Amino acid sequence: MSFDIDTDCRYLESHEWVRPDGDTARIGITDFAQDELGDVVFVELPSEGDDVTRDAEFGVVESIKAVSDLYAPVSGEVVAVNERLFDEPELVNDDPFGDGWMLEVAYEESDFDGLLTAKEYRDQTE
Amino acid sequence: MSGSPYAPHTASETTAMLDAIGVDSEEALFDIPESVRFDGEFGIDAKSEQAARRAVASTLADNDDLTEFLGRGHYDHYVPSVVDHLADRSEFITSYTQYQPEVAQGFLQALFEYQSMLVELTGLEVANCSMYDAATALGEAATLAERLRSISGTRVLVPDLLHEGRRGVLDNYVAGSDLTVETYPTADGNVDREALTEQVDETTAMVYAENPTVRGTIEEGLDTVGDLADEHDALFTLGTDIVALALLEEPASVGADVVVGDGSALGLGSAYGFGLGLFACRGDRELLRQVPGRLVGASEDSDDRRAYTLTLQTREQHIRRERATSNICSNQAWVALRTAMHVASLGPDGLVELANDSVRRARETAGRLDELTGVQAPVHDRHHFREFVARVDQPAEAIAADLEAEGYAVHAVGDHEIQVCVTEANEQALDGFVAAVSEVVR
Amino acid sequence: MSRQQERPDEQSETLTFEQASWVDPDGDRYEPLLSEKGSETVEVDSELPDDLTRDSLELPNPSEPELARHYTRLSEMNYGVESGPFPLGSCTMKYNPKFTEDLAARADASIHPDRSERSTQGTLGLLHELQTYLGDIGGMDAVTLQPPAGAAGEFTGILVAKSYHEANGDERSEVIIPESAHGTNFATAAMAGYDVVSLPSNEAGRVDTEALEAALSEETAALMLTNPNTLGLFERDIEEIAEMVHDVGGILYYDGANLNALLGRARPGDMGFDVMHYNVHKTFATPHGGGGPGAGPVGVTEELREFLPDPHVRATDTGYETHTPDNSIGKVHGYDGNWLVLLKAHAYITRLGDAGLADASAKAVLNANYLAEQIDYEIPFGPFHHEFVASAGEQDAADAAKRMLDFGVHPPTTKWPEIVPEALMTEPTEIESKRTLDQLAAAFNAASASDTDTIEHAPSRTAAGRIDQTSAARNPRLSWQALDDEE
Repeated sequence: MSFDIDTDCRYLESHEWVRPDGDTARIGITDFAQDELGDVVFVELPSEGDDVTRDAEFGVVESIKAVSDLYAPVSGEVVAVNERLFDEPELVNDDPFGDGWMLEVAYEESDFDGLLTAKEYRDQTE
Repeated sequence: MSGSPYAPHTASETTAMLDAIGVDSEEALFDIPESVRFDGEFGIDAKSEQAARRAVASTLADNDDLTEFLGRGHYDHYVPSVVDHLADRSEFITSYTQYQPEVAQGFLQALFEYQSMLVELTGLEVANCSMYDAATALGEAATLAERLRSISGTRVLVPDLLHEGRRGVLDNYVAGSDLTVETYPTADGNVDREALTEQVDETTAMVYAENPTVRGTIEEGLDTVGDLADEHDALFTLGTDIVALALLEEPASVGADVVVGDGSALGLGSAYGFGLGLFACRGDRELLRQVPGRLVGASEDSDDRRAYTLTLQTREQHIRRERATSNICSNQAWVALRTAMHVASLGPDGLVELANDSVRRARETAGRLDELTGVQAPVHDRHHFREFVARVDQPAEAIAADLEAEGYAVHAVGDHEIQVCVTEANEQALDGFVAAVSEVVR
Repeated sequence: MSRQQERPDEQSETLTFEQASWVDPDGDRYEPLLSEKGSETVEVDSELPDDLTRDSLELPNPSEPELARHYTRLSEMNYGVESGPFPLGSCTMKYNPKFTEDLAARADASIHPDRSERSTQGTLGLLHELQTYLGDIGGMDAVTLQPPAGAAGEFTGILVAKSYHEANGDERSEVIIPESAHGTNFATAAMAGYDVVSLPSNEAGRVDTEALEAALSEETAALMLTNPNTLGLFERDIEEIAEMVHDVGGILYYDGANLNALLGRARPGDMGFDVMHYNVHKTFATPHGGGGPGAGPVGVTEELREFLPDPHVRATDTGYETHTPDNSIGKVHGYDGNWLVLLKAHAYITRLGDAGLADASAKAVLNANYLAEQIDYEIPFGPFHHEFVASAGEQDAADAAKRMLDFGVHPPTTKWPEIVPEALMTEPTEIESKRTLDQLAAAFNAASASDTDTIEHAPSRTAAGRIDQTSAARNPRLSWQALDDEE
């Protein structure tokens, strides 16, 4: 079975993606991760104005039988939170790289050092 | 009588089973090193059912036959026979936690109904399907307050007159957290609101009050306590009981975020403190994910018919382990079933009437005792629910002991204070009780 | 809002088929909610001032016959030990003897906890006897009956360990727990303020003593173990493990979930355990009550007696009294625990005696081993005792369990412990006959032989079909009020 991978994103081994867009970057979890979890029923995220730190937990994603911590691929201030996920957690399953995004963070370019490329991430999941 | 009376094996069956396994004896199935084998005896002789029953009953008979006028958070109301008979149906009482909901719809629906009754009685959106008792429910409320991101304080404020059992359990529940427990003063039995205002600030995690209080008084102006907690981003937890909820101010209307208390006042007799912890709370997203204990929710089955299931289980220990909202696993589900049955059998009329009777009985009984020389009742110039404190000229312990000799039990709660609780379970003995009090207080 | 439902006798039209049929197999429910059968709103009037009372109350208002039918219908949609085999691993679903219920229903068993000791000699006497029985059975010197459930027993035991260390001026920060342990162990350690150190199993499914050696330190407050472990295997190195834990000054804690394997044959106290809890709703046949009440008495060695909860029952020259142990941890229940549950456990032990208890274990172990012989699923670890963990292999264990429901049996515990892939944790207990075990094995084997499509769509013969867990969690509807809001 093959999973979608977005070549515009960089990745953490723990299956989070980050996609830069101007001064900010969006963060979410990968197609592979959502499939492993099964039906997502709840997402716990920080609030706007909170800071997240590279490789540190920033939230939790829950399916029926499992709870997984979310790790931040980059550091920075949260400038937007995808509040749709609170009522429609299924977006994480349906569109993990699109409407299922979680946070928008003001980041530093240098933060991308050491993150997996799309190819490296694909190799990891295969 | 060489074996368990509840193991059905005949000797030939046992042999056939051992043969099938390929061993010579039951003993050979035990992979236990010789050094830790036990070859002693407990010295308990097996008994026939009749003899076992007689043995236990004869020890129980050493309890004195007293008419109890006891309460202080644990109450004896008459439980209708229908509750006993229905709750004892083996499909209910011998079932397990509903991890296979397709064969547990009955209990799940009954617990869903129990939760719904609590939602109505408290005005809050969420009720769990039980905690052990009022004391552990209070402990869980405190640790809930600590987990909420919206609360940064660490001080838990409780009334100085809190029941010692509840206080003791609370102290243990917060022992592994950053929380500290402090008391605030009461005035004439109720919350001293001025003093409390002085104590509540942004370092407060939770304010706890009870209605009725442990001394039976009915609180006035609880909404100001709710406001106070709200202003300082603290959780307002209200302790109460299932009967009082039918009459006294609705917890949600006074700003309570959490309701805890005793549910076993309905559904279960005194049972030596065996209880049921109520737990209800607001239903906003943050609280919902932090509720301790099991929750039953409605869903649909594969044919799209309504069905019930345990839900939001990721909060619980079997999934979240050390980050669970509580370590609770076995709860008091069967007691919750009984309580729901009792509430349903009373209906809203019957429940409100029972609650009103609880006010009347306390008032009337206090009035009768107050007429006696050597007694002033009630001590507190408040409205009362079920029970009240009376001042006695003689030492309270001696009064209680003398009353016990007459066949009545009351609490001695101070050097010269006794506490008296009246329900329909002991009301028929009131005349004799008042006469006995008049004798012993002289 | 009020959901007054019209009752049939209020209807003037001829009843439709659905209204006429008592049970509604095609409707959206099997038994209506009490609220749907008729609720009533009452205005609350009282002698109290208005500002001290609520305005109104809306609740169901069934007559007693209606109430009896409602709960009877619900009971018919519920599976208990008396419905059929209940081989739920780690839960010890025994038959609950009826005479114990009769004893619990006695008027002299229902007394108030605040009565004087001199008037409660019967209750105190039974509690003291039970303390003694449990102490003897577990090889412990002192027992408290206060914890109202197994998890509460764990909390009590870990608080005892914590108090012991603190009394020695010894602040410790960690509790070690095997990965395969019951989730309550982890949650309990955290609740008591400890960091959890997770201990992997070795290839034989037992405690890895090298990993234990590495995990132990001066920070170790306790190691929590169950023996036999969750795979049903006896920890044969238990004495060495005990020595290792004691060498660093730690406490060895015994989780009593699996005590039914050992009655009369081995005792935690003799293995070197310092603290243990008993699950009387497992080992001593008190009913599980649909999730509770249980009771979780805790036994300790002499050295730890002084830390037991307050109050503790002891014998005097003339009877029994309660006292506060010198360094008591305080209270873990508002009163003295789940008394009626304790009473039933006492009655069970009294009935079985030494011989019956030992036979219960023997037959429990015999039954597990016999059942294991009869089933097709692979069982990777052994020799096991009162329970075994089979693997559903290529099947999803949860699906296999749903398929078993179609054969009228309750399935085993699924997907735990995780050391066995797609685990089916199976504990038949001593109460099943060879014939029942053969039937149960047939259900296992029928599930094993079922194709993926069949098990994914199972069950098909139960009161409800497969229930949508995702919908329940994404859209929590936790009361009938929430259902009304949705409509």
